[in-house]
Amino acid sequence: MIGEEFADLLTAAQSGSEAAFSRLWRNANPALLRYLRVIAPGAEEDIAAETWVHVVRGLASFRGGEQAWRAWLFTTARRRAIDLARHRSRRPEAALDDLTAAQLPSSADSAETAIENLSTAAAIGLLAGLPPMQAEVILLRVVAGLDTESVARLLRKSPGAVRVAAHRGLRRLAQITADTGVTL
Amino acid sequence: MTGNDVPDVDMPNIPQPQRQDEPVVTDADLVALLAGTADVAPGLRPVADVLAALVAEPTDMELAGEERALARFRRQAGAPVPTRRARRNANGLSSRFGVKVGASVTAVAVVLGGGAAAAFADVLPAPIQRLAHEAIGAPIPHARHTLPSGSRSAAHSRSGMHSRSSTHGKPAARGGPGTGRQGRPHPTPSPTSHGNPQGQGKHGNPQGKGKGQEGQGSGQGSQGNGQGNQGTGQGHRGKGQGQAASQGRGNGQGNQSKRPRGNSQADRRKAGHPHLSGLFRLVMESLTSRPVPRPGCGVAAARWAGWPA
Repeated sequence: MIGEEFADLLTAAQSGSEAAFSRLWRNANPALLRYLRVIAPGAEEDIAAETWVHVVRGLASFRGGEQAWRAWLFTTARRRAIDLARHRSRRPEAALDDLTAAQLPSSADSAETAIENLSTAAAIGLLAGLPPMQAEVILLRVVAGLDTESVARLLRKSPGAVRVAAHRGLRRLAQITADTGVTL
Repeated sequence: MTGNDVPDVDMPNIPQPQRQDEPVVTDADLVALLAGTADVAPGLRPVADVLAALVAEPTDMELAGEERALARFRRQAGAPVPTRRARRNANGLSSRFGVKVGASVTAVAVVLGGGAAAAFADVLPAPIQRLAHEAIGAPIPHARHTLPSGSRSAAHSRSGMHSRSSTHGKPAARGGPGTGRQGRPHPTPSPTSHGNPQGQGKHGNPQGKGKGQEGQGSGQGSQGNGQGNQGTGQGHRGKGQGQAASQGRGNGQGNQSKRPRGNSQADRRKAGHPHLSGLFRLVMESLTSRPVPRPGCGVAAARWAGWPA
């Protein structure tokens, strides 16, 4: 999160300052990619790029604080991810029957990945093992830094449902780490 | 016995073993986890580490697309950014333009329709009425006022009934058995060839009498009733398209109808352009969903337009 400096950076970026925009981008893009790595694995780079194109186009008319900025960014990314998923479901590129066993994507066990790589990627792998709703809520709360109300608006759920999903996700995560003995 | 009337020996109370490795997570712990604070329960330390890894410093790979984003930003910053009002104006332009075009088309249709109805009702000023007559086959300006009284039928035929009289004349022309070949080469009859009694020798044939009567009697309406008799008497005379002249004379209107009014070019022109009047009728019928009277029927047109005849 940028903090108090955000308003000045946004104003400067809206006036055309590349440095200000670069600061905004460097602050938000890693979180965006981490979020997309869980909800749209394999397409995070493309979706992030599309999201920034949309953001650049609407930057001049954006009004709001840092929470609103991040909510806008992640809402845009989420919509792009949903569009991509729909597009892929309409036009599957190859049937799984046509692929050999060697070509099938190997999904390593989340716990094993976490043990091998004590890193961000491992943590993302652990999150990816959670139910989608729980993983998304935790990512939006922790990675995007959004509060419960913002997450609820973004996901079109009630704040209560978001809280429940967050608690369940964290409990499950605690259970996984306890079962596997993962320490990051 | 238990409360459910089951012996205690049959339903032993088997204690469920508690999972000792599952951490007990309270709401306060979860809030602390999400907030990223350090004071979490020891059992939740691994979870706190996972969440901390999620917000770790960005890697180089995660910052690799900065140049591309900046290039996009540079292009967008160089281009004029459309403001909200400009976008609204751009969107509203087409809709407002459409409304204007629609209103203009409606106004033009109303004016043209009203003007045409007025023209067919023969209530326009003479020059405009004449123009309408030329364009869409409206009645001749004030024809009923300029012609002598009692010649209503003549004026009627002049203003639009010519085409009808010409079609009526055709059966008579075809009818004469001996005149068939001679009648057809003269679609525009002349008074001398058809109208006067001397023309009898040329076209007429006593044997063609019967059909000649038939043709006149059926085709001329009120005028033809009186002429039918005359045709019967003349027989050889009532043939071809010159019958209008001969009929007119028979009705005592010979002076007025010296000019033959069969289907000459001039008469057809006065009756209005057939395509234009047809087009007008089509347009008006499609607009009002009512049949539009044919050109020349001023009273019917006025009635159609809802005006007092």
